Amino acid sequence: MDQIARFAPHALLLAYAAATAAYGVLFSSGSKKASRIASPLLQVAIALHLAYLGWLTWRWAQFPAATVSQALTVVAFAIAIVYLFLEWLGGERATGVWLVGQVLVFQLLAVALHEAQPPKRELFEHPLFGIHVFLALLGYAAFAVAASYGFLFLRLYRELKGTRFSVFYGKLPPLEVLERMMSGALAMGFAALSGALVDGVVWAVQLSDVDWQHDPMILLTFATWALYGGALLLRRLRRWQGRQTAMASLAGLGVIVVSLVAVHTLVVGFHRSF
Amino acid sequence: MASSDNPAGGAPTTADLGPTLLAVGIDHRSAPLELRERVALSREECEGLLLRLMARPEVAEAYVLSTCNRTEVYVRAREQEAALRAALELTFTTRVPEVEHEGRFWVLHDAEAARHLLAVACGLESMVLGEPEILGQVKRSAELAERVGTFGTVIKRLLRSALQAGRRARAETEIGEGAVSLGYSVVELARQIFAGVEGRSCLVLGGGETATMAARSLAEKGVRDLRFAVRGTHRHQALQEEFPGSPITSFQDRYATISECDLLIASTSADEPVVEAGELRQVMRQRRARPLLVVDLGVPRNVAPQVRRLENVFLHDLDSLEHLIARNLERRRLHVPQVETIVGEELRQFDAWYQGLEAEPLIAELQRRAERIRRDEVDGARSRFPAEVQDELDRLTRALVRKILHHPSTRLRAGGAERDLAHLELARDLFQLGEDED
Repeated sequence: MDQIARFAPHALLLAYAAATAAYGVLFSSGSKKASRIASPLLQVAIALHLAYLGWLTWRWAQFPAATVSQALTVVAFAIAIVYLFLEWLGGERATGVWLVGQVLVFQLLAVALHEAQPPKRELFEHPLFGIHVFLALLGYAAFAVAASYGFLFLRLYRELKGTRFSVFYGKLPPLEVLERMMSGALAMGFAALSGALVDGVVWAVQLSDVDWQHDPMILLTFATWALYGGALLLRRLRRWQGRQTAMASLAGLGVIVVSLVAVHTLVVGFHRSF
Repeated sequence: MASSDNPAGGAPTTADLGPTLLAVGIDHRSAPLELRERVALSREECEGLLLRLMARPEVAEAYVLSTCNRTEVYVRAREQEAALRAALELTFTTRVPEVEHEGRFWVLHDAEAARHLLAVACGLESMVLGEPEILGQVKRSAELAERVGTFGTVIKRLLRSALQAGRRARAETEIGEGAVSLGYSVVELARQIFAGVEGRSCLVLGGGETATMAARSLAEKGVRDLRFAVRGTHRHQALQEEFPGSPITSFQDRYATISECDLLIASTSADEPVVEAGELRQVMRQRRARPLLVVDLGVPRNVAPQVRRLENVFLHDLDSLEHLIARNLERRRLHVPQVETIVGEELRQFDAWYQGLEAEPLIAELQRRAERIRRDEVDGARSRFPAEVQDELDRLTRALVRKILHHPSTRLRAGGAERDLAHLELARDLFQLGEDED
């Protein structure tokens, strides 16, 4: 058991490193061989990761987010599956190095901060809590991915607007594809966050001793949900095009990061007790 | 044919080579367009030249490659000087004597000739570095030579190496990547904006040479919905002949047509801009800001520069296209060393095969001699064996000889490929080959 706990995070790190390398070669040289192996490598890494998270849940009989390391590896997993979905949606692998690279960084942090013995917490044993946390992390991961695509979109947009072409030109997918992938990430994030909110509310009402309606974290999550929902609605109504959506994705991520930091450092509330 | 230390096979030494492979030709480096176009051969003329070359006793094999930028003849000569004279005479002197008088042709021998053909197939010798058409032209010329029957073992193998090098260069490097012509740079820009250009619609303002050249590139890349807006009617017939099915609309209605299109190419002779920012802003509102690529190929410019500021309008003019082409050519140049390495690798393989040919007569003689000994011995002893085992006796002794000679034959071939003359000499001595058996 201890062997698995020690070995598995490193094995995942290697698997994601191999996938990142393949996507990197694909981005820099357009190698057909790299194009053929990149996605299968990522799929293998994701399958291993899923098995590892399943094993952690079974081993400690609680959702694997009780330590910083566990939470980071769940975030890495969430980004990986969001990216895989977008790769399928856009039919493009050229952006993989940027996204799978982020997965690698999160997994690296998870390995660096690894704790052999996570604390036993009753709350984490509740299935609704596990689903809530996973969906929330998936939602935020998808918004982060959307912001990455927003950045790439704006980079290419600026380049195509100008008259000089940098090394990025010709290496990124077309603007329309970047926009489709960004919108896909936003939609996925919004759906996941909606699920997290519904699940969280259902679960919170079962806890009679907490004032969850006034919890800053919950209010912040509702505000984030409403902001992204508004952005998606404007897109749906064709009021917003790619550039506005890209800027909104970047701004949205900035707001999420700043407010999460603020809530966690300045405010004491329901979520602070976890 | 010796391999060279240079990975590209550059400057190979030819001193130790058999004087058999010869290449004679002109290209964009040696002759001006005026001469090249007079020397260029049609497919039928290539066929005739191949047949005339093969009618000469000094020519053993022949291959002709003729494009707008080069006309090259490759021959395997039985007699080098005579074969060179035949190739020059039939290809140039009798048709365009100035080529020979002005010394506009080049002659390459053996490894240099082989290396040249491989480099040509890879696009290294092309006027536009890495251009893709040349590989197909080399292949089609090879098919013609094969059909006419002027291919022999050596040129056939050389062509195989050249085609392999060309395919590898395009698959393993970016020598052919990125648009390097005005027309294709428009397609490349469109591909950076739209997910596929095939289903897109394009309006071309103007019907002159530059406008049709850009339209042709788009049509070649699959843009089916091409529309033209031209002033007057004098270009209508020519446009309808070249682009049948493409509607030609009134120039006055251009903004209405733009609202339905994804690409706008402007190339008119107007002195003032024919696409203004104010009108285009209205059009973009109707389009609900769907992206629009505007390419201004006019001099003076046909599109007001303020158009660049409009949301989701991507305006490019001749300056930015030329910058794009220069950048792509520079990127291709970066891949030249990699392609030269591929040429060197393929040339070495061809070289090894070619050198192995030197051992073949020796191996054949060895096998003939062994077979003669076997037959003599078996014939002498045949009467001592019953009739029903005679066939078995032949089969058994043949198998024995084959097995005994297998390893020496393999080693001799390898010795030939490595230019190990001492090895071949030792074999001659040991098996008494090349001596008068009588």
